[in-house]
Amino acid sequence: MIQNTTDRRKTPRDKPVLSARGVRKSYTLGDRTLEILHGVNMDLYRGEMLALTGTSGAGKSTLLHILGLLDRPSEGSVTLDGESAWEMSLTQRALIRNQRIGFVFQFYHLLPELDAVENVMLPAMIHESRGTFRRRRSEHTEHARELLATFGLADRGSHRPGQLSGGERQRVALARALFHDPAILIADEPTGNLDRATGERVLELIFREQERRGLSLLLVTHDERLALRCQRQLVMADGMIEIDTAIKIPD
Amino acid sequence: MYRWFLSMRYLRARKTNLIGIGGIFVGVGALILILSIMTGFLEETRRSVRGSLSDLVIAPRFGASKEDSVPTDPAKILAEVRADPRVEAAAAHLVWYCQVAKEGADADSMIRILSSSQSGNLSAVQIVGIDLPAEFEATEFKASLEREVKYGARVDNAEQPFAVPERYSPSPLEAGVVVGEKLYSNLALRRGDRIKLATIVEDPARSDSFLTPSRTYVVVGTFRSKENEMDMSRIYLDRAEMIDFLSSPIQYSEVLVKLKHETEATSKALKAELGVRLAENRLIFGYINLDNEFDEVKTWREFRGVLLGAIENERVLMGIMLSLVLLVAGFTVFAILSMMVTEKRRDIGILTALGATPRGVLETFLLIAYWDALIGALLGAIFGTWGALKIDSIERWLSKTFGVQIFNRDVYLFDTIPSVVDPVAVALIVLGAFVCALLFAAIPAWNAAKLDPLEALRQE
Repeated sequence: MIQNTTDRRKTPRDKPVLSARGVRKSYTLGDRTLEILHGVNMDLYRGEMLALTGTSGAGKSTLLHILGLLDRPSEGSVTLDGESAWEMSLTQRALIRNQRIGFVFQFYHLLPELDAVENVMLPAMIHESRGTFRRRRSEHTEHARELLATFGLADRGSHRPGQLSGGERQRVALARALFHDPAILIADEPTGNLDRATGERVLELIFREQERRGLSLLLVTHDERLALRCQRQLVMADGMIEIDTAIKIPD
Repeated sequence: MYRWFLSMRYLRARKTNLIGIGGIFVGVGALILILSIMTGFLEETRRSVRGSLSDLVIAPRFGASKEDSVPTDPAKILAEVRADPRVEAAAAHLVWYCQVAKEGADADSMIRILSSSQSGNLSAVQIVGIDLPAEFEATEFKASLEREVKYGARVDNAEQPFAVPERYSPSPLEAGVVVGEKLYSNLALRRGDRIKLATIVEDPARSDSFLTPSRTYVVVGTFRSKENEMDMSRIYLDRAEMIDFLSSPIQYSEVLVKLKHETEATSKALKAELGVRLAENRLIFGYINLDNEFDEVKTWREFRGVLLGAIENERVLMGIMLSLVLLVAGFTVFAILSMMVTEKRRDIGILTALGATPRGVLETFLLIAYWDALIGALLGAIFGTWGALKIDSIERWLSKTFGVQIFNRDVYLFDTIPSVVDPVAVALIVLGAFVCALLFAAIPAWNAAKLDPLEALRQE
């Protein structure tokens, strides 16, 4: 089913927004050193939909966390728009996670003490000082409500995560990820915890927003059918990228 | 911004924080309340013992044999003491103990009282003979006459307190006495009543036998020193009248000295100098005690040193013990925060993923402790201060409501529970609560900041 089309550069593209070069990651457990990633090279181009698949234990999550600047590679580099992430300060990396990368997780990861609107504005709360946030609060609330409305949650704004269904929670999480209008959206098994119909609805929204905003989407999944709907697929096995394939070339 | 917002949310979401707040509240409140009362005790005690004692007290030992004896007339010693430029005033007291009974008591009834083991009527009082107006200058006697009365009745003329108004006695031969107001109320006296004073003195003619003089006096009014013991058991009268009543060869018991500028150092220095000078002039016996000091001259602090020292000790001990409450409150904050950090691992991971720095996470959890301390210490300071200011009425209300006397006013020296709220102490206690809470919170907050966000995110 998967064809190896080696020459993906047939499609004209910009420079990559996110790339990894020679990324290795190893953990030390007692006196044993365990290497999870054995030198990964990859690029995520502007506006592309990239699926990252592989069996569990292949190193998908580790790579995802490294690409999301949540984890530091043992070796190699991660660059964002040509800037090397691990040469920046901790604060700069935090700012990138806040502004330029949106995260959607399998288990939604909303803060249970906050209602939907507050969860969506969380990136602004983290970024802004108390005074700025107070001044712009109504603006942020408005923006958060709009996003929720776009995802069919107009009447769910003041609900806590505990009062929402799984699909609703994931849509709140998507709204949060898109709050600062990031260039990159990293989705880690976004439908993994949802039933087929609900998952499909969430996926449609992700794809719709990808297209509308020209997002660079990195979708981690083990669902082959889902991967097929992306333009390109990276298959990981044993800590390496085994196959880099363009499945669907846009017309 | 999320630091403030989230810390407040977490605070509200976790009711266990109330325990931490409660602990800090109790610690701060109790510290302020108890320390205020203890400080009040100390200051009130110091003031009242000083008021009745003056700054220095010279109590000579009148020797038995003629060679050793010092003058029993105070004129010379007063002159010598007053000559010192540091001395503002000095006055002589003659002190003796008496049995007091109401008018009409005869020998039989007095004996009946003395022989009954169950008698509540026996009133042994201290009678103090004083010279006016020297007494006014050296002690607070005048103030105790003019002070607003609680149980007693003021004298007609504070300048001439022992003068018997004509409406009570037409005879100029009757002498007046001023009675402590508690004694006055205990004996159910009224102004103009006559009381009989009876006592035992050495027979000047034969040294192995006694005389039992008694004399009737007119109660002309009361004094209120605010020191319970004095107000309950002291009667003042004119010293010359007292010498006559007792047929006493000794004309004074002690000389009270008031200094111009009293400090612990000045009174100590003068005490030593006066001791030498008076002993050289044979105005005192010159007895040296074990501390190598003249035993007959004492500062007021030495007289009440044990008492003041005990209260001071008690205050320090109470402070230490109640600080332990704050320490325990700190442990509570530590335990609650440690629990919250464990519970909020996932939140910490999410926040990091969304752009929070470890420092931000640290501050978020520190802020929870900050709110704990702020609310607890503020409430504690308010209630502690309020309680300290209102302690007397609070205690009265509690006693009345529950029928148990908490503070027995007869046991202590004062008729109200004293308290002094020291703003500096309050500020220090509040500050201490903050330091304690934040120090204890620093450990879990630090752990939260060190948490690996990935580990936190992986768990469902």
